[in-house]
Formats: sequence, C-alpha cells, structure tokens
Amino acid sequence: MKNPWKEITSFRELLGNLIVAELKLRYKESILGFLWTILNPMFFLLVLALVFSQIIKFQMENYTIFLFAGMASYLMIQQTVLIATGSIVNNQGLIKKVSVPKIIFPLANVLARFVDHIALILILFLFLAYFRIDFTWSLISLIPLILFHFLFSLGFSLLSSVIYIKVRDVQHILSIGFQAFFYLSPIIYPTEILPQGLQKIFLFNPFYYFIQSFRYPIYYNKFPPLIIWGVTFFLAVVFLGLGLWVFYKKEENFVFQLS
Amino acid sequence: MKAESELMTNKASKPTVEVDSVSIRFMLPQDGGSRPPEKKGIFARFKKPPKREFWALQDVSLDVQKGEILGIIGGNGAGKSTLLKLIAGIFPPTTGGVKTCGTVAPLLELGAAFNPELTGLENIYLTGSIYRIPRKIIRENIDRIIDFSGLEQFTRVPVKNYSSGMFMRLAFSMVIFFKPEIVLIDEVFSVGDESFQQKSFEKILSFRKRGASIILVTHDANLITRICDRVLVLSDGKLSFLGGAEEAVRHYRQLIQSGEGLDRRRQEVKPKPDSSRWGSKEVEILSVDFVDEKGQTKKDFLSGDYFEARIRFRSSLKNQAPVFGVAVSTIYKLFIYGPNTLEAEFPDKVPSSGVVRFVIPQLPLMEGDYLFSAAAYDETLSKAYDHHEQMYHFRILKDQKKEFGSVRIRSLWKLEHE
Repeated sequence: MKNPWKEITSFRELLGNLIVAELKLRYKESILGFLWTILNPMFFLLVLALVFSQIIKFQMENYTIFLFAGMASYLMIQQTVLIATGSIVNNQGLIKKVSVPKIIFPLANVLARFVDHIALILILFLFLAYFRIDFTWSLISLIPLILFHFLFSLGFSLLSSVIYIKVRDVQHILSIGFQAFFYLSPIIYPTEILPQGLQKIFLFNPFYYFIQSFRYPIYYNKFPPLIIWGVTFFLAVVFLGLGLWVFYKKEENFVFQLS
Repeated sequence: MKAESELMTNKASKPTVEVDSVSIRFMLPQDGGSRPPEKKGIFARFKKPPKREFWALQDVSLDVQKGEILGIIGGNGAGKSTLLKLIAGIFPPTTGGVKTCGTVAPLLELGAAFNPELTGLENIYLTGSIYRIPRKIIRENIDRIIDFSGLEQFTRVPVKNYSSGMFMRLAFSMVIFFKPEIVLIDEVFSVGDESFQQKSFEKILSFRKRGASIILVTHDANLITRICDRVLVLSDGKLSFLGGAEEAVRHYRQLIQSGEGLDRRRQEVKPKPDSSRWGSKEVEILSVDFVDEKGQTKKDFLSGDYFEARIRFRSSLKNQAPVFGVAVSTIYKLFIYGPNTLEAEFPDKVPSSGVVRFVIPQLPLMEGDYLFSAAAYDETLSKAYDHHEQMYHFRILKDQKKEFGSVRIRSLWKLEHE
C-alpha cells in the first residue's frame, strides 16, 4: 500500500495552493465574504435557541451554549463530508490530465472546511462569552477532539468520494442521512429527556460521542470521560483506516471511471 | 514510482523513460442491444451494464535516452495518446511497467491544470506545485515567465477571461522555465499564433542540449524526419516499428496504403449507442461497401447499372446461420424495398467471418439519393444481432431520359383504335 504521509508531504505545496484557492474562490465576489461562514450557522443557532428556550421552554441552564457545543461538532462533520464527497468528481479535469496523488483532493477539501470551522468556533467563543462561558482548562481538550473530528471526517470523505464516482445518489443519501441524524442525535435536546430504553439505543449513534465530546469542555466545563475519548478516537481511526484502504484500492481506476 | 525516480535522476547512463512490455485495457460500456426496448424493471438500474474489453496498448516496450527526441506516429486510435498518458503517469498500466527519471512535463493539453477562476499569477503557482516545482524556484523565475509569455498586463486577471492564445502562451512559458527532464508533446503546436509557437518550440528543442528527453506525438511526417532521432510507429495499439526516422516514415506510409492500422477506432469504437445501430453483436456487421461489376467501390450509379452491396461480417454463432437483410429507402425515408436471405437461396451455415454480397443486376432506381440499411437477425427475425439503420448512402445520377419518380416499374404503353 502507498504511504499517504509521503504522498501528502511531497505535494504539500499543491495541497496548500488548493486550500487557498478554495477559500479564496468561496468568498470572492460576495460582499460579506467570510462573514457568511459565521453568520449562517449563527442565525441557525439563534433561531433554534429562541424556539427551544423561549417558545417550547426547555428548562435548561445556558441552553444556547448547550446547543452551540452540539452544533459545532455536528456541522464540522456534516458540512465537511457533504462537500468532500464530490472532491474526486469535481477535480476530474485535473485527474485526467496530470499525475498527482488523488488523496490530495479530498484532503484539501476537508482541510479547507476545517479552517472555516475552527475560525467559526473561535469567533463564536467570543460571541458566547456574552452568554456566560467559563474559560477553564478543560477547553484544551478541544484540540485533540477537533483532530479526531478531522480524522473521522477525512476517512468518511475518502469513502464517500470513491463511491460518488460511480453512484451519484450518494450525495442525496448522505444529505438525508445527516438531516435525520441531526434530529436523532442529542443536539437540540439533552439525552436525559429520553426514556431509558431509547437512551441505550442512542449509544450506538457515533454522532452522540462526537457531540458529547464537545459538550464536556464547552458546556459542562469538564474534561470528557474516558469512554468519550475512547470511542471518538476509535471511530476516527477506524474510519480513516477504512477510508484510506478503499481509496488506495480504487485509486488507479479513477481515471477510467471518470468521464 | 515517484520516490524511485528521484533517486535515479543522477545516474547518467540510465534511460530517462523506460516502458517495459506495457498493455492497457479499457473496459468500455457494451453498446447496442438497447433497442428494441426491453421491459425494464426498476431494478434494471442496479444491474451492471455489460462491458467490453478494449486493449488500447498491447505489449509495447521502449526506452528514451537523455537528450533524445523520440517521435511517435500512427493512425487515429493507434494508442499514441494513451502511450503518452501512460508515461505521464495518468493511466496505470494493466500489465507491464513504466519508469521515469525526473520531472515530466506533459504538454498533452495546454494549461490542463489551470483553474479558470484564478488569476494568471495564481495559476503559475498552482501548476508549479502540481509538477512539484518548489515555490522558491517559481518566485525566482516569475518575472522571466511573465516576460516570455508577454502577458504583463494580465497577470491579475482570471484565466477564464484569457483568449485561447493567451492561455497557451501562459501554459508554454511555464513549462519552459520549469526545466523538465522529460517533455511529452501531443500535437499541441497546431494552435495559437505562429511566432509564439515557433519561439516555444525552439526553446523546447533546446532542452535536449542540457539532457532533457522529448517524446513527440504527431501526424506530421516532415516534422518527424526533421527533428526526431528515433521514431516509433504504433498500429492497433501494437509497436509496429521502432528505429530511424526516415525508415519509420516509410514504414508508416506502407501501413497507410495497406489500410492497416488506420482508424481502428472507426470499427472498434464507432458502434456508438446512437439510434441508427443496435443489436446483440453475436453477428457483427463490420462494413458495407457498394461496388460495380468490376468490384470497384463507388457511391454513384446510373439507373440500370449493376449494383452490389458487400456486407463484411463476423459471426460467433455456432450451428446456426443468421438472416441477413437489407433495405433501401429514399432520403425522405420512404421505404422502397427490404429483402432478406430467409426468402432467398442462401446457405444455412456461415463462416466466422466473411462477406455477404447483395446484388441488383440492373438498378431499377431513378435519379436521387438513397439510404441503405443492413442487418443480421436470428431466424425468427425477432432478435437483432446487428442492425445498421440507414447508415449508408448511395446516389443515382441523372441520365438523359425524361422520366420521373424514384423507381422504374417495368411497364408498357399501348394504343388502341376505336
């Protein structure tokens, strides 16, 4: 099997150029530019916060922060995967004409999205300071946790981008799937409001762990428990391994399948 | 492969490009068979469409030395471009191996790596990173690149707003300053303004002085004899000749005259999924030619002439014969006549390949253009092996007679007194 690390480092300048190009082109010719990346989820967040704390009247302390922690985790994965799924097909012009390691394309997509999302988290932190957020040492755990989110999203994207070459339905299936998981995961509500039996089923939802992993440092001001660390790490490694394996297995055929 | 190539760059005696008995197989979608429409369930979508093998290259070996210019000639579809893409690392070989030492600059398609939304300057850096030219080197050369391209005014304009000439200038200028060890050229010199072409071409040829290898695909026999050290002739994806330029061109000309190796694609790939051809291809109609009584191929006939359609076919049927049929219609799609071998004396076995001759001793057709269909069916005439619907054309020229219509019907005129 190829060595992804070697491929990536020897093409790191291309990777950098692709990321810069993507970010640049995304915000070109829009007046608010990068602000949209923040405004968009922020308005979503505010609407949800308003609906559930003021109208439905969830009895929860700092509901906005609770919501923010879950959404930050969910959106990080969802937006990244949905975009990176098209990474091979969208770059087919290049793939059919020049010889570069194909893993660069999904990686560039995923990294560009993470640049956005990390910036988003930092800026929302400032914004949420207003709602009371305690800056404790536990926030440090976000650094490895974001890395796990990154590895998980990358693995997921490698898989979905390969499938997308032959089955374009994948994009629709994923977007429906993510939508379902938005409501099936404890993002807008805490797990505790569910009946006992249902709570157990929720433990099989991978998003549950990612969401909780952000919630511990941001909302509960605590380091996540070992089980959260373990499961998120496990999911990241398994998805990345699977993604890489499938991607490299199929990589040689990309050029024949694209048309 | 990449890491290997870096290590070997400095060994002088090694060839820069080594292609070792390479074959490439494409799996093309099997076309035809889609008409007449079959009942398709919703699950039909999940069935894999049948695929057909196509060997674009078969057992090709070659090596290119430092400072050498290798020419590649061959007919359309002989595999020339596939060979270049193989050396460029775009196509993986199905069997065999390819080794390259040093930076490969494939001029297969100019500015292939350009992102139309980015500016000229940004694209220089982007393309540079695709060929792994360190940013530092690009920065050092950037003024000279822009200078050579003559696009000083446009470096901050998105490439999508460039004219095709400007696009080409930028693409060339970059390659020239990246000093590649291997240059692959696929007939790119036929576009753009001539003075720049000349300038670029000379510059590229000068690369050989510092040891670069150049592989050039072209149809231009003059160009080949003028600049190439050795020439490879490809025919049907196979290496047909490799040697001196003069001899290679002679070999290629012979190949053309014998009709071999020319336009293989016309037969292999032409069965496009268009409405005019369908069938399962157990019997395949390879060609249809019209000839006169001397066997000369022709398209123009006179009313009353001898007419013969020669239908070349290939059959994989065992123990049963296909039914051959033809049809003649006017160009206004008026169907005139459609006979078949079921209603005629015809052997009930056919060889695996052969020619069916459909003869009209005296053409009853009158002046005009006619469309000709040829088909092979099973005995029940329900399953098409290969149906070429109105794919061929012949013409009846005007003669002296003052009669009108499409078909001459044998008839008499009589007069009676009352």
